[in-house]
Amino acid sequence: MKSVVLKIDDLSYKYSTGSTALEHINIEIYENEFVAIIGQNGAGKSTLLKNITGLLTPTVGNTYVNGRNTKDLTVSKIAMEIGFVLQNPDRQLFAETVEEEVAYGLKNAKLPADLIEQKVVESLTAVGLQDKRKEFPPALSKGDRAKVVIASVIAMGAKIIILDEPTSGQDYRGCYQIMNIAKELHKMGRTIVFVTHNMSLVAEYAKRIIVMSRKRVMMDSDAEDVFSQPEKLATTNITPPQITLLASKLQEFIPIKKTVLFIDELGDELLVLHRK
Amino acid sequence: MAEAMIKIENLSYRYPRTKKWVLKDISIEIHKGEFIAIMGENGAGKTTFCQCLNGVIPHSHEGKLKGVVIVDGMVTAETPISKLADSIGMVLEDPETQLFTTIIRNEVAFGPENLNIPIDEIKRRVNWALEVVGLTEYIDEAPTALSGGQKQRLAIAAALAMLPKVLVLDEPTSQLDPIGTREVYNVIREIREKHDITIVMATHKSEEIAEFADKVLVIKDGQVAAFDKPWNIFNDEQLLKDNWIRPPQVSALTNYLNDRGEMLEKFPVLLEDAVTEIMKWYKGERV
Amino acid sequence: MSLIEYHPGKSFMHKLDPRVKIFMMSILTIVIFMVQNFYVIAALFITFLALWNNAKLPAKNLKNYFIFMIGLLGFIILLQTLFYPGSHYILKPLIPNFVPLIGGMGALKWEGFLFGLLLGLRLITLIVLMPLVTMTTPIHLLALGLVRLGMSYKIAFMTTTAINLIPTFESETQVIMDAQKMRGMKDFEEGGILKKMKAYPALVVPLVIGAMRRAQMMGVAMDARAFGAYQTRTYIEDIKMQKKDYLVIILIAIYAVAAVVINYMLQGR
Repeated sequence: MKSVVLKIDDLSYKYSTGSTALEHINIEIYENEFVAIIGQNGAGKSTLLKNITGLLTPTVGNTYVNGRNTKDLTVSKIAMEIGFVLQNPDRQLFAETVEEEVAYGLKNAKLPADLIEQKVVESLTAVGLQDKRKEFPPALSKGDRAKVVIASVIAMGAKIIILDEPTSGQDYRGCYQIMNIAKELHKMGRTIVFVTHNMSLVAEYAKRIIVMSRKRVMMDSDAEDVFSQPEKLATTNITPPQITLLASKLQEFIPIKKTVLFIDELGDELLVLHRK
Repeated sequence: MAEAMIKIENLSYRYPRTKKWVLKDISIEIHKGEFIAIMGENGAGKTTFCQCLNGVIPHSHEGKLKGVVIVDGMVTAETPISKLADSIGMVLEDPETQLFTTIIRNEVAFGPENLNIPIDEIKRRVNWALEVVGLTEYIDEAPTALSGGQKQRLAIAAALAMLPKVLVLDEPTSQLDPIGTREVYNVIREIREKHDITIVMATHKSEEIAEFADKVLVIKDGQVAAFDKPWNIFNDEQLLKDNWIRPPQVSALTNYLNDRGEMLEKFPVLLEDAVTEIMKWYKGERV
Repeated sequence: MSLIEYHPGKSFMHKLDPRVKIFMMSILTIVIFMVQNFYVIAALFITFLALWNNAKLPAKNLKNYFIFMIGLLGFIILLQTLFYPGSHYILKPLIPNFVPLIGGMGALKWEGFLFGLLLGLRLITLIVLMPLVTMTTPIHLLALGLVRLGMSYKIAFMTTTAINLIPTFESETQVIMDAQKMRGMKDFEEGGILKKMKAYPALVVPLVIGAMRRAQMMGVAMDARAFGAYQTRTYIEDIKMQKKDYLVIILIAIYAVAAVVINYMLQGR
């Protein structure tokens, strides 16, 4: 049994204006999971992430990172355990070169120079930006700016990586590259949590999906289960990937399995059934 | 054929203090009431192209512009942007920078107020625009109280309220949830039917493009790589590959079947067509 | 925790015509700078606090600013006590007068202390006055007020938008600070004041780049919304001076004159 790395225990959050953003959230995330959080605009996804990373403090309930209550930790302490990539990369870039950007957190941790160098190389290699070390981060393309932020966060060695809409505004290549970086990190043993509105990415990458609706968790299951309930998803403004919809429409006439998530999956099944 | 609403002849553009031409020799015509989707990789020149349409280029950016852009009979380089705004509305990608007021009602009214529209008409338009984007209940609240996706919808409402003849949208749904995205496209369909507005939209969302757009302009390195019906675009595997364009999933499935020797009679880009075509293929050989 | 953002309400201050509030802000600012007397300033300060309370503006915002202001006040008092020309020494000069250039330095003077206290109080009073107006007036009505007072719409819009951007920069600063904390920057949370002060400059680069980007994009967005297209424009809401508003103008005028007169009377003594 893998250990629980993130535990959200009956969390509710109210803004200082008095409006409620989250109600009774209970989630346990295990080591090396790959989790997607989805739900309509304003459902509370970003607020939830901020409560986990210590940027906001739960009004009621608690969040625990590796067993420790985030209320007892500073944001910079939590950052050693959770790497958080915010939605807009531009507010997370402070340095004059890409390498200084990645080294920033390492210098804060007062690591020796040779170790910093080693980690900078490692992280930049992981995101494929070795050849852009000397460049001015704000001058890079949107995709590369996002990758610099990811490199800077992973350099700090956190075992949990949280990404808030990492692919919003990215083109197809950018989406694909960023999600593949996440996939690699997952393979290397890290826990990944990401928020997105792109359902084909969810189907392709996430092993577990948490669906939020109106401040609460509405579903918490795997992709097959979640995407087999389109009516329920529609209440939180989500539609399954087109290929899933196609498969369910074809089902009326062709005996294909219930929930299809991938193009090749449906293609292969059609080919097999067709040849019978 | 409908009249040309936008006419672009040999358009090239270079930003100040740079050597690279961001747009190179673009010549196209967009007709009244058409919905044109602009696709291409980030950095290919989509945003620059959009800004050429409403006159931000060359008026607010220096740099070098060659060629002519004519929108609704006005040469953009010779007409002040604010006058162009009478005919052409624009929604930018980042919603934060295009909201200036403290109350949503006033945000939506801002454009029509500048155009000297009578008060009653503005009020009608504000209510209508907020209703079509689903923000009516927030009319008296501050834009800062909205989530990112809601702000994006507000920006669209603010442009709609100006009832422009041409509406340019630069990735207006990048932060919206799937149904919210569809709602924006439905709104656009509705205003096209009612007001015959011409739409130019930069976007990466293939499924919606296949369903809603009349034509797709693919820009690669500042040049026109293709300007054609969605069907022709999504059916051109090489073009898709060169420009990192993801086709609708139903089209990708068709390609997958093709690669394994199974041809559908007609290449589908829409969900409904795919169901019909696959059924035909599936039954056809069995009978 | 902004001292600028509009705070909806139906109080006396909220209902005043924006022109009256602009008048109030400008005339009382002048008064604050003219007045030399401690009691008069204190009276102004208390009046503003009463209005603040009456408008149901959040006390929390003010409290945070006061903490900051008390620090500033201490600093101003210290500077003035040190450098204000005076002869009533609290502490004799550390450096004897005959030393060239820096002779006489290091003395703490009573006149300086009083002057510093007054200056600091004035600043604090001013800081309550401005939000009394900005927090009770929606930005578009503030702009309309300026227009009706004769300013061109373009300038009025720019001015009010600049005010409106301050909270935006505050929240932007917070986001960047959070992003830095999340990269292990401990000084904002654990460091002493000195460390915190040292950490702030690192916020400047992303803030400036963000501000430049924002200014450019805002210009584009304003153009797209036909800002300044015609000489005239419609205003969906109008402002009308009521009897009450004229009455308040008279009251403010009387109040201002009284403050100045009392100040000189007390000063004469």
